[in-house]
Amino acid sequence: MAAGIRMSFQEVSPFLGNQWVGWENYATVLTNSRFHQAVSNTLVLGVGQSFGAVLVGFILALLLEGPSRSLWFVRTAVFLPVVTASAVVGEIWRIIYFPSPDGFMNKVLGLVGIDPIRYLEDTSVALYAVMTVGIWSSAPYYMVIFLAGLAGVDRTLYEAAAIDGARLRHRIVSITIPALRPAIMIVSILAAVRALRIFTDVWVLTGGGPAGSTQVWMTQIYTQGFERNNLGVASAASILLLIASVLLTVVAIYFTRNKEDR
Amino acid sequence: MKQHIAEKQRQTGRLKCSGTVLATLLATTTAGYAQEALEVWSRSGPQAAATYEAVFEAFTEKTGIPVEYLTALQFDTQLQARVAARDLPDVLIYDQSSMAAYANAGWILPIDPTSLAGHDEVSDVSWDSVRMADGSTYGVPFSQHAQITFVRKDWRENLGFDVPTTHEELIALATAFATGDPDGNGVDGDTYGMAVPGTTNRGFFAWWMFSYLAQQGAHYVEGGDGKYEVTINNPEGVAAVEWLYDAFCGDPNLAQPGAMTNASATPFFAEGQAGIYQTGPYAITSFTDKIGAENLEIIIAPAGSAGSTTLTERTSIYFGSTTTMPEAQKALAEFLISEEGQTLGMTAPGQPVVRLPVNVNLNAAEIYGDERFVTVAEQLEMSELMPSDIDFTAARLEIAETFQTLFSQCNDDVVEQLDVLAGLIADELDAVNALK
Amino acid sequence: MSTPALRKKRRQTSVEGTLDTAFGWAVGDTRSMLVRAVLCAILLFIFAGPILTIIVGAFDLNPDPTALTLWPHNPSLENFRVATGRGIWGYFANSLFIAGFGLTLQIAVAVTAGYALARRKFYGQTVVLGVFLATMMLPEEVVAVPLAVVLGDLPLLGISIRGTVFAIILPVAASAFSILVMAAFMRDIPEEIIEAARIDGASEFRILVQVILPMCLPALGVVAIFGFNGIWDQYLLPLVAANRTEDYTITVILRSLRADVEVGTGALLAGAFLALIPSLIVYLLLQKSLVRGMTSGAIKG
Repeated sequence: MAAGIRMSFQEVSPFLGNQWVGWENYATVLTNSRFHQAVSNTLVLGVGQSFGAVLVGFILALLLEGPSRSLWFVRTAVFLPVVTASAVVGEIWRIIYFPSPDGFMNKVLGLVGIDPIRYLEDTSVALYAVMTVGIWSSAPYYMVIFLAGLAGVDRTLYEAAAIDGARLRHRIVSITIPALRPAIMIVSILAAVRALRIFTDVWVLTGGGPAGSTQVWMTQIYTQGFERNNLGVASAASILLLIASVLLTVVAIYFTRNKEDR
Repeated sequence: MKQHIAEKQRQTGRLKCSGTVLATLLATTTAGYAQEALEVWSRSGPQAAATYEAVFEAFTEKTGIPVEYLTALQFDTQLQARVAARDLPDVLIYDQSSMAAYANAGWILPIDPTSLAGHDEVSDVSWDSVRMADGSTYGVPFSQHAQITFVRKDWRENLGFDVPTTHEELIALATAFATGDPDGNGVDGDTYGMAVPGTTNRGFFAWWMFSYLAQQGAHYVEGGDGKYEVTINNPEGVAAVEWLYDAFCGDPNLAQPGAMTNASATPFFAEGQAGIYQTGPYAITSFTDKIGAENLEIIIAPAGSAGSTTLTERTSIYFGSTTTMPEAQKALAEFLISEEGQTLGMTAPGQPVVRLPVNVNLNAAEIYGDERFVTVAEQLEMSELMPSDIDFTAARLEIAETFQTLFSQCNDDVVEQLDVLAGLIADELDAVNALK
Repeated sequence: MSTPALRKKRRQTSVEGTLDTAFGWAVGDTRSMLVRAVLCAILLFIFAGPILTIIVGAFDLNPDPTALTLWPHNPSLENFRVATGRGIWGYFANSLFIAGFGLTLQIAVAVTAGYALARRKFYGQTVVLGVFLATMMLPEEVVAVPLAVVLGDLPLLGISIRGTVFAIILPVAASAFSILVMAAFMRDIPEEIIEAARIDGASEFRILVQVILPMCLPALGVVAIFGFNGIWDQYLLPLVAANRTEDYTITVILRSLRADVEVGTGALLAGAFLALIPSLIVYLLLQKSLVRGMTSGAIKG
C-alpha cells in the first residue's frame, strides 16, 4: 500500500533507480486521452450495469418470490451465474456472442428478425455487450437480497391494499418498494463499488478493444503497468481509484447511518 | 501435494536465509540438493513448451545443470512482477523485439559473442539483429523465420484459381473465398477470405500489417543505427493502408468476423472457416494436423508493387541481470545455438521452437524432411526486421491501436488518421531518443 | 405481465393466495400459474441455459462455436482425453488444493476478525472499517506486483514462498467480504447468551467455538460459497506466483487453452467444465444457508 503511494510519485525502474517525478504521473493520468476515454466508459458501464443489475434483480425477485418447491428450483438455477468462475463466464459469452450469422445470440435474435450483430467488435455495441454479461452475472445475487427483503414485508399491508382495491402497480410502488428501501440501498452501493473496479469481464471478453471502446479504468491501469512498463503511472491511477472507492464507501456508510438514525 | 512441499523446500534452499530457525531446518532437509537450478522462461503454448522441456532435458543430461522451466503465459506481466521483486529468471527466451526495452531498463546483461563457444556457427545477420544502437550485444540468436502465407489448396482448386502471385490475385482469391462456396457445403458466403489477427495485445496487429505495407514500399519508420524517421504517412504509406482499408471495410469484408478484437485468428484458419492466413511457420504442424497436408499450401507472399517482403521474426536468448549463475547461463546459450540444440528445437516432439536454424551448418528442409521449409527459407531471404536496436514497443502498441480503430470503425479518414499516427510514433521515438 | 385479465382473474379467485407475495401471484389459478411457468422457463433459458451449453459442449465431439446446443450430437469423452493430454488434471488439482486450503484459512480469519469487529466497539470504528474495506476491495490486478515482491521475500522470515501453493493461499486468507458477513451476523447474536456463557466461566475462545459458531452456520455457508469462488477465480496471483509451468492453476491454463489451435473448442469447453464443477458443487451443497446468511447481515449493514 505505502509502496504503491511512493511508486505513484516516481518513474519506476528498479534496476536503474527510481526517479522522483512528483505529481507528473498524476498529471499524465489526468491529461491522457486514453484515461479520459476510460473514465467515460467506466461511468457508462458502471451506471448502466449497476442500474440494470439492480432492476433485473428486483424483477427476478418479484417473479420468483414464493414458497413452492418448483420456485426454489428455478431460484437455485437462476443463481448459477453468480457462482460461475469469471474465466468460465468469459468463455461462455465469447461463444454466445460468436459474431457470424449462425452464432448463438445472432440465431436467437434472428428469430425475432434482428440482423446479425458483431457484438464484441462493433465499437458502438461492444460496451453494451460487456454490460449485458455483467448484468447477467450479478443480477441473481441482488435477487437473493431482495427476496429476503420481500420475505420481511408485512403481509397485512398487502391485505389492506387489497381491501382498498389498490392496483398492482400501486401496491408495488407504495408498499413493496418502501419496505425494500434498505435492501435497495445496500444493493446499489454494492453494485456501484463493484462497477468501479470492473476488470475481469472486460479483460476476458474484449481486452479493452475494439479501438478502446471498452477500455475502463482498471484495464487502462493494467495496460499502462504491464504492457507499457509505466508502473508509476499505473500506481497513480490505482491511488485515484482507491480514493474514489473510499469516498464512495464513506458516503454510502454516512447515508445508511443517517437512515438508521431517523 | 508432496511435490509442492518439496518444491518449497528447494526454493527456500536456494535463498540466503541463514538467520531463522525455520531456514536452518529447511536448509538441512535440502542439503542433499547439490546443484541449484537455472531458471528459464519462454513464452510458449503447451505444444512448444513440451519441445523446450525436451531440449532442456538434453541440456541437463549433457552438463548436469538442472533447469527450472516456466512457460510464461503473460510474459511481460509475469516479468514485471519479478522485476519488482528484483529476482529475474536466469535465462529468458523471447521475441527479439523486446531486447532493447529490457536492455535499457537494465533487466538483461550485455553479452560478448566471442566468449561463447560456437558463436562463429551463427550467421552474421543473426548477430547483427541482436546489436543495440550503440553497438553492444544483449542477446544470443536462437530462432528465425519470416511470416509466410498459408492457403487452403483444396478451396483454391475447388474454385478454379491459380496460386496467387500478386496483390490483385490475392484479393481476387480472398473475395472468391468470402462470397463463393470453397468448402463445397452448398452455402455461399459462409466462409471468409482471410484470417486476420487484428489484436492490439503486444501490438500484434502492427507486426501482421508490416508485411503487407512493405510489399508496397511502405514502412512505419525508416532509418537505422538507432535513428529513425516516421514514414507511415508518406504517399506509399497512404496508398498501402488504403488498399488494406478496402479489404477490411469494403464489401465483401475479406477478414473473418472478430478480426479486430483480441480473439485469436488462428482457429478460423485451422477449423476451416477462412482460406488465407499470413503467420509464422510455427503454425505448420498444427495446421497440417487439423486440415491435412494435402489441403494446405505454403506460398511466397503475393507481390505488391515493391515485392514479396514479409516480416522477419526472431527469438533470442537473454541473460537476466540478477543471476548468480553466469557460467550456467553461457552453457545453456552455447547448447541452444549448437547443432545439437538447434536440431532438437526443430525435431523434439511438440511444436518446433527453432523454426529456421540460426546455426549456418544446418539445413531446415533436410532436418524437417519437409520440402515446404524450402519455401519458408526462401521467404526469409525476402524479409525485413522491424527496428530492434531501439525500444519500439510503445510505438508498436500505438500503431496496432490506431489500425484496429481505423479498420473496426471504417469511417473513411485514412489520411487524417495516418497523420495523427505519425505524430504519435514520432513522440514515442523521441521519448527513447531515436527520432532522426 | 400485469395484464388486466390477470388481475381480474386474481380478484375472482382466492384473494388469500395473492397476499403471500408482492407481485400477487395467485396460487391455484391456472392462468396465473401458466404465465408464471412460461416466465420461469424463459429465466431458466437465460440464466442457466448458457451454463448448460458449456456442460453439453464439453461432452460433445467437435462442438462448433456456431452450433451451441442443449443436447450433445456426438456424446464423447474425447474432449477430456485431449484436455488430459494438456495436463489439465494437474492444474485442476492445484486449484482444488489452493481453494480448499485457502478457504479453510479464510474462514478462520473471517470468524476471528468478524468476532472482534462485532463484539468490540471502539472509537472511529466506522472510519477504520471503511478504509480497511476500501483497501481490501482493491482488485488483485493492482496489488499483484507489490504482492509478488512480498512473496519473493517474506518480511521477518526472509524466505521466498513464490512457486509454492502458499504464495496463493496466504494472500487470500483475509477477505473483506467474508469478515463483513461474519461480523454482521455475529452482531445479531443476543449479548445475553454470551454473558451467560461467560458467567459459566467459559474462555473467550470457547465462547467463540462452542456458542457463537453454531449460531453462525448460515453465514459460514455464505462465506464458503463466495470465498471458494473468489479463490477459485484468481488469475493474476497464480500467474505471477508460479515458478514452473506445473504451478499454474486451471483458471490460468484455461486462457492458454483458448489460444491453443491443436485442442480446439471441445477441449476448451472440457476445461471450462472442470473449472465450473467445483464451484457448482460447493454452491449446491451450501445453497440452503444462502438466503438467510447473505441477507440477515447485509441488509442491516
